[in-house]
Amino acid sequence: MRFDAHALPVHVMALAAAGAFVFLANVGGCADPRGAVATQATLDTLRARPWDSVRARARGTEVVWRMWRGDPSINAYVDGWVAPRLRDRFGISLHAVEGQGPQIVNDLVVEREARAGRGSASLLWINGETFANLRHEKLLAGPWSGRLPNSAFVDSASPIIRRDFEQDPAGYESPWGRVQFALIYDTVRTPSPPRDLAQLASWIRAHPGRFTFDQGFTGTTFQKLLMYGLNGGVSQFQGGFDSTRYAVARGRVFSWLDSLRPFLWRGGATFPLDVAVMHRLFANGDIDFSMSNNQNDVIGKSRQGVLPSTAKPLLLRDGSIANAHYVGIPFNAPNPAGAMVVADFLLSAEAQLEKQRPAVWADGTVLDLAKVPAEWRDRFAGLGADSRELSADSLARYAVPEVSPRYHERLAADWRDHLRSNNGSMPKTP
Amino acid sequence: MSEAPWRGGSVHTRRGHQAAGLLAATLLALPVLVGIAYSFKASTGLAGAGATGHASLARLVQVARDPSTWAGLWFTLCTAAAATVLATIAAVAVAVTFRRDGRASQAGRLLAAFPMTIPHVVAGVLSVWTLSQSGTLSRIAYAFGLTARPADMPTLIYDRFGIGMIVTLGWKEAAFMSIVASTLLATRGSDAEEAAQTLGASSWSVFRRVTWPLLWRGLAPAIIAVFVFVLGNYEVAALLAPSNPLALPLLVAERAADPDLTRRGDAYVVSLLLLSIAVATVAVHEWVRARWQPIAP
Repeated sequence: MRFDAHALPVHVMALAAAGAFVFLANVGGCADPRGAVATQATLDTLRARPWDSVRARARGTEVVWRMWRGDPSINAYVDGWVAPRLRDRFGISLHAVEGQGPQIVNDLVVEREARAGRGSASLLWINGETFANLRHEKLLAGPWSGRLPNSAFVDSASPIIRRDFEQDPAGYESPWGRVQFALIYDTVRTPSPPRDLAQLASWIRAHPGRFTFDQGFTGTTFQKLLMYGLNGGVSQFQGGFDSTRYAVARGRVFSWLDSLRPFLWRGGATFPLDVAVMHRLFANGDIDFSMSNNQNDVIGKSRQGVLPSTAKPLLLRDGSIANAHYVGIPFNAPNPAGAMVVADFLLSAEAQLEKQRPAVWADGTVLDLAKVPAEWRDRFAGLGADSRELSADSLARYAVPEVSPRYHERLAADWRDHLRSNNGSMPKTP
Repeated sequence: MSEAPWRGGSVHTRRGHQAAGLLAATLLALPVLVGIAYSFKASTGLAGAGATGHASLARLVQVARDPSTWAGLWFTLCTAAAATVLATIAAVAVAVTFRRDGRASQAGRLLAAFPMTIPHVVAGVLSVWTLSQSGTLSRIAYAFGLTARPADMPTLIYDRFGIGMIVTLGWKEAAFMSIVASTLLATRGSDAEEAAQTLGASSWSVFRRVTWPLLWRGLAPAIIAVFVFVLGNYEVAALLAPSNPLALPLLVAERAADPDLTRRGDAYVVSLLLLSIAVATVAVHEWVRARWQPIAP
């Protein structure tokens, strides 16, 4: 799950990072220079102790959670529902602060370079290529997630949850929710939407200027959907990154898009920077489709007034990419015990149920309902569904998993290079 | 020879003040200097996400060979220059039109300064609402029959010429520039212009030969400041600029968040490029100022 927050004025980003570097290098000299070691040692100790002692250690502490803060529904759930319960039941003060994927990785690298000892955050909201980057840079502490009592209820048979973009979480992250990619359309403006890629191409040609995709994470996910659909399905790409297979697949995806570019919004000369711009264009009637990595995003956005109430999610028969999102503990977390208790509470049936309510966030559960106590199973079954929600059957029928994050990295970079090479040439084969 | 009272007392005191001033200046410059040093390290693969730990010019070469760098640079320079020129023209027009002491002039100067109170991100959003094909202008044009449908409105945002960006930044910076220009005219007085008019010069000649030469030398630092600021502005570009060519501040953001860690160092290279242009601009200004100093009024 990736979102659309804008960065800070970034021509000074390098300088700001360096400023933080200097500050931390100086101040950190007086702090514990072995924060990483201490965090890992604490986790190792906690793993061997009874859960009650973990909770006892977490009581009276503060947990800073770095997460994307761009959705009022998610913020309300975390700040208004999760945080008070953590305070009342576990004596933990939860502070959710801004910070999404790439920014988290960059900041943790700077903290490590500054030898700042303990970092500022104890919990991170991550998945996919962020998890890959954090693991590659050795910026996560663990393993720890198997120690959580509520991990016993996780739907570990699901390939969507068991593997994060084909990566084994290996105990370094704990699942929190699952979502599925969907197009968004307006039932009034487009009463008969396309149902597969071939129909979509025909629709785009018949409605010039009414379709586009963004240049951020969501747009790349759409391209991955094309990659699967135009190249024989997801199975062609499973089992790690294959550069030869990728080069062929990329050629087909870019050819498909190039053939449609004259019919895209603004003649394909420019594309929305991120999905927030897409939503705005869709809501203003400039385009007829938006998209989201969360099939239920449309419900929350309609409630907020961002999208029209007649908007609905749409799955294409060629497949709908599903993935899970997780929480991790950074290598320099000041409060690993508190982070574990928070992660465990997020996995509780109670917290998962609340999160899944259409009026709250409508984020899918990662629990196997056959494993949870019967009373909670009944409550999940009794969840009121929004009329615009896609049925569980449809979601399951069209769900396809993520593949190696390397595909995502290459598609994102190569599409940008392809767009900006004035002669439309293909980027070099990786 | 006795010291002027405002210059302070003994040599020791003066040196103490100089040392304190130098220390303050160093503290101000230090984060920037260290930032530059860090950016160099990150540009050569010695620091930052995806660092190899081995010094290499590969990133510099990669960015230099990337056509999007130069297309973005040209776009950024052109839009920044156009916005600065637009702001300068508007500011001079305001200063000259409302230079008197009457209430109407005071009100005119006050209204011209209003955009200063709006954050850049809000100015960008206002432009989206106003200039987009579903925006206010488009709807007015449609209502008056000037366009057959709102989508026929000429593209003013996300356009490859950056028209919406230029107008928004020009409008926003004109407020600051008009305050500087009005202050300059007020402190210079109008004796020279009145003398020229008495000698029979036309209004245009007075402006061209007297008012403008007085104004531009004083305005030059503000023009440079606005140009350098606009050059690196992120918020307005993020809301209004096209995806191709990509303005350099957006290119920095894009590379800093690249899913591929090995490309994140590119952000530091592009940052240094932006910094170099800003430094070069300031240096040119200093050179021009030094050249004109002997005859400055």
